[in-house]
Amino acid sequence: MNHATEENCMKTNSNAPEEQGGICPLSRRRFVKGLLAAGVMANLPCGLLRPIRSEAGEIVYEGSYETFRNACPRNCYDTCAIKTYVKDGVVQFIEGATESTFTRGGLCVKGYGYTRRPYSPDRIKYPMVQQGRGSGNWKRVSWDEAMDRIAGKILEIQDKDDSLLGMALSKYSGNFGITNYGVEGMMTSLGYTTRLTGTPCWPAGIDAQNFDMGDMWCNDPEDMVNARYVILWGGNAAWNSVHSVKYIYEAQRHGAKIVVIDPVLTQMAAKADEYWQIKTSTDGALALGMARYILENDLYDRDWVMANSVGFEEFADYLRNNITVEWAAKESGIPAQNITEMAKEFATAKPATIWLGYGLQRHVNGGATVRAIDALVAMTGNVGKIGGGARYGHLRTWGFNYHALLQKQPEGAKGVPGKAEVKGDFNFTGDDEGAALSYSDRSLNINKTAQVILDTNDPPIRMLWVACKNPFSQDFDRNKMVKAFEKLEMVVTVDQFFNETVNMSDIVLPVTTLFEEWTINASYWHYWLSINERAIQPMYESKSDIQIAATLSKKMNTLRPGSCTFPTEIDSREWMIKEFNQGIYDLFGIKSWEDLKDGPAKAKMHQASWHDLKFGTPSGKYEFKSKLAEEWGHKALPEYVAPREKNDKYRLLTPHTKFGLHSQFVNLDWTEEFNPKPFVYIHPKLAAEKDIKDGDTVRIFNSIGEVTTTVKLSTVVPADAILMYEAWFKNNGYNVQNVVDDTSSDMGAYKTGQPGVAIHDQFADVARV
Amino acid sequence: MSNMEMPLVVFSVLSQTAIGLVIINTNRQWTAKPHLAHLQEGSRQWGIVLAFLVTGMIASFFHLGHPLQAYTTLKHLSNAWLSWELLGIAVFLGLALLGLLTEKRNKSGMISFATALVGLLTLLFMGMTYSPPGYPAINNALPLVFFLLTALLLGASCSAWFAPPEKRAWLLRILSVTLIVGLVVYLIVPCVWLSGGTVMKQTAWAWILSPLYWGRIGIGLVLPLILLWRLQDIPAWLPIIILLGELMGRAGFFRDTVHAAGNIGGLY
Amino acid sequence: MACKNQYHQPEKVIWRQVYPIDEQIYPFTERAFYSLACNHCENPTCLNVCPVKAYYKREDGIVVHEQKKCIGCGNCIRSCPYGAPRYNPELKKAEKCSFCWQRIDAGLQPQCVQSCPVDALQIIDLATFNQPGAVQYPPGFPKQPKLNPSVRFMLPRLPKTIGEEDI
Repeated sequence: MNHATEENCMKTNSNAPEEQGGICPLSRRRFVKGLLAAGVMANLPCGLLRPIRSEAGEIVYEGSYETFRNACPRNCYDTCAIKTYVKDGVVQFIEGATESTFTRGGLCVKGYGYTRRPYSPDRIKYPMVQQGRGSGNWKRVSWDEAMDRIAGKILEIQDKDDSLLGMALSKYSGNFGITNYGVEGMMTSLGYTTRLTGTPCWPAGIDAQNFDMGDMWCNDPEDMVNARYVILWGGNAAWNSVHSVKYIYEAQRHGAKIVVIDPVLTQMAAKADEYWQIKTSTDGALALGMARYILENDLYDRDWVMANSVGFEEFADYLRNNITVEWAAKESGIPAQNITEMAKEFATAKPATIWLGYGLQRHVNGGATVRAIDALVAMTGNVGKIGGGARYGHLRTWGFNYHALLQKQPEGAKGVPGKAEVKGDFNFTGDDEGAALSYSDRSLNINKTAQVILDTNDPPIRMLWVACKNPFSQDFDRNKMVKAFEKLEMVVTVDQFFNETVNMSDIVLPVTTLFEEWTINASYWHYWLSINERAIQPMYESKSDIQIAATLSKKMNTLRPGSCTFPTEIDSREWMIKEFNQGIYDLFGIKSWEDLKDGPAKAKMHQASWHDLKFGTPSGKYEFKSKLAEEWGHKALPEYVAPREKNDKYRLLTPHTKFGLHSQFVNLDWTEEFNPKPFVYIHPKLAAEKDIKDGDTVRIFNSIGEVTTTVKLSTVVPADAILMYEAWFKNNGYNVQNVVDDTSSDMGAYKTGQPGVAIHDQFADVARV
Repeated sequence: MSNMEMPLVVFSVLSQTAIGLVIINTNRQWTAKPHLAHLQEGSRQWGIVLAFLVTGMIASFFHLGHPLQAYTTLKHLSNAWLSWELLGIAVFLGLALLGLLTEKRNKSGMISFATALVGLLTLLFMGMTYSPPGYPAINNALPLVFFLLTALLLGASCSAWFAPPEKRAWLLRILSVTLIVGLVVYLIVPCVWLSGGTVMKQTAWAWILSPLYWGRIGIGLVLPLILLWRLQDIPAWLPIIILLGELMGRAGFFRDTVHAAGNIGGLY
Repeated sequence: MACKNQYHQPEKVIWRQVYPIDEQIYPFTERAFYSLACNHCENPTCLNVCPVKAYYKREDGIVVHEQKKCIGCGNCIRSCPYGAPRYNPELKKAEKCSFCWQRIDAGLQPQCVQSCPVDALQIIDLATFNQPGAVQYPPGFPKQPKLNPSVRFMLPRLPKTIGEEDI
């Protein structure tokens, strides 16, 4: 596809790979000069904001730009609605949409970097082929040649194994635009393949909420203003859901008490009324301790519990026989007096709510922890109330058609015999073909990607397609991943930057940014829906995921007709439209998708989840005692599960940084200005033990591997922990996965197909270099 | 560490040399008994003054982002000391040129006097310009003191090129005293800063740890003093040593003086 | 970043900068900040020292820098104790936060104010501003009464901390 257009920015497009850097687009300076040449005076450094004065002398601000609606497609609670200002085919600046009360006109420090992202000089512009993984010896190829190699390999696998199980997909949440499920669709349209299923993110908690209530369904976050007591448990909203903080602040202004429970004194903790520095992974004990106190002192909502739950008596027995406040205090490190005070406050505040973060459940006992905290909320009668609830996430606004996802295998395709249900946290439709099906995809645990690549045979995984994911930055045990990749015969990665996974790939395909594709975006936290319009022509030769699928299909069918059922010509705008259905229209109160061009829409849903108290459990009630949990190998009651045994000197925590979302954003030159280098953070006490001073170079090491970086002394880290933020810094070997292993969390297999991973149950030592 | 501002270093030192030279020359000749001057003596003296001044001014253009618009810098005489400084330099230049053309034989007529006066005023304007609130350590009369020292040190030592024998002792006294005063000032100032606010303290330490600071003291003050004591006269090459010291010192003045904004977020 | 998104300043030419507050003032490392741009002082030193009169102060208080007059002498940059004007090496001129005066004139908010998700940045009318607890010179912010910066601050709160050890 030739993307040369008549717009100014494309004039400088060149064919030579050497000229990739810094050509397009119209730089701001050139743009300003252009304005000056056109006789428009620039009073300020950018003439960009020059308001146009209309005949009547009024200032017309918006008239000089074309505006488009976009949505941030990242895996983030806030999924912002964006308003994009384009001039001369170039994104000039963006704002948050003001129509969404959640986004409320502003984005975040990551999102504003989008203005730079399509034009970043580091962006991958063309399909490229690497001669020797990790060598940096990249050669530009045409899309045709790239597809030739890929299709050739796919057919080779098909012929060798008589199935396509040797081709695997590594994909998760790098892009949550609904049409991006076309990648899974593409895999299906090729045959039965190997899928890395499950999720590293939130599976233990999902299972827990499903055992307790029958679904994961949180209140509208905007209703937090009504809470009289808010506990943020193991989550850092100030960095990871900045738009939610205003509701917490408003609750605080109305007299609500805000408590943050977290091993680290996070930014959110600094804004709370009380901060509890809990011993990592002992949250279940704390919750049960509180529950015991509430039970003993008759502070629980007996009526609610009687009417809406099963198994409370057994839970009460468990508490009486096994849990005391003193025990909880010893286990968690929180003084008994505080536990009882807060238990009383929590139980008597009406309504009270707990926001369960995802870090909370990234432990070997994560699921059990969530069940215990759910129980706390339920027994105090806070489930189903506005301003209450055990908030975790929801998927109620994701009822699209999944037209891109739903494809058919080619005739005669073979896979794993027998019909298996492919599960996933965002797999809405499952495998619902007819009874004639006798094969299915091979499902392997995404959280053990390296291990499954190494272990799997009959047939082995020969080829890996990576999209919306960065296994080398996000998957665990990097050294193991290096070994695993050696086994792969071909690796194709679809991405925008030369990140670690791309560097270990054979072929990279340039993908579009949000401004260059059509899709729709919902959130797993708030209740808004945003359209994502194509605001600018795709830069260079980038294609969206579904366009790539179509291109591959065309080549496959040229080489062997019928080998791929994915349509070979698609109109991406049409494909976006095809995702809408009447259910969505009704839910959001819109007549058609075009209404979203005027701004995002909010679901007409009750603000409180479970407001009708009709739970999705087998009993239809809240299940303190869950037979289903038992069937899946857990305790029926939310009993305490001990944390992982320490296997090295200090606990290692690798949470999210405020400047990036996993391996996105931190590498942009704009972001580098504010966040140029990685650090490891340790408490001054720990530093003294190890004779380490602020600014020293240190290595963090354990049996998995090691990381070398600069140390910063910090009083917010517990004295027995090492903290590193996981992020990808361009041109820097820093990678926390060198010291993180792939130990599973307890839950996750029930609803998401695979157990989760205990990311924060890692241990390491540190020493000066 | 701020920018070393080399163009400003050169400009300020050389223009202050020119000013100092006029002041000392004028003073010397006004206090001398009238006598037959060398042919073209006045031209020579004015020529050297202009050489210093113009070189400095050319250097200053390298400091500006847009030197071709330098003529607009006189617009803000109502408020900006920098405008006055540049006005002062311009008038000084004009008078020096006039002097070159008219005071060919005997320098130190009315033009000399006027030029010296304008020079002194310009030093004052410079002192005001280079003491902004952004640099707490020098947001006071210190820059003026530093500039006066520069002018007198270089003025006196360069004036020795023109001084007749009967005036040399007088000149020697002036130079020696100024060197001693300079030494005292430069040694004391960081100590005074150490008892000031955070940024003053930071400035003190930056100066004390700076090779430029000690270079100026050693090469620009101590060494000349020793030489003068041994030689009991001002050799013609002495200004070069003092100039070197002054350039180092001025570079340190720009580079090592700490800006207030560097401490935002910390206690002041 | 919202500001950078609007004006695309080159590297190191930062108009609004977020400064972490030192542990001597707020005890938790990098948990309290000053987000500072130009303070649009009542008696701005940049305006006073500019030899080409490239600055003017509007009725509403915004101090505007006129790029076309600037000759890049750097005097304002040296002069401002808050470091607001920065040198733009591409244009070879000074520049600073403009308070988004063109957005203001169009009835919009400055980018930074609009973007702040928690209303930490707000536009106030100093003539009528009367919020209890607001200070002009919090610790860590240079005190310059002669310049009279037009910003007011609400000091960060400290949470009650509970745990096994002293936090």
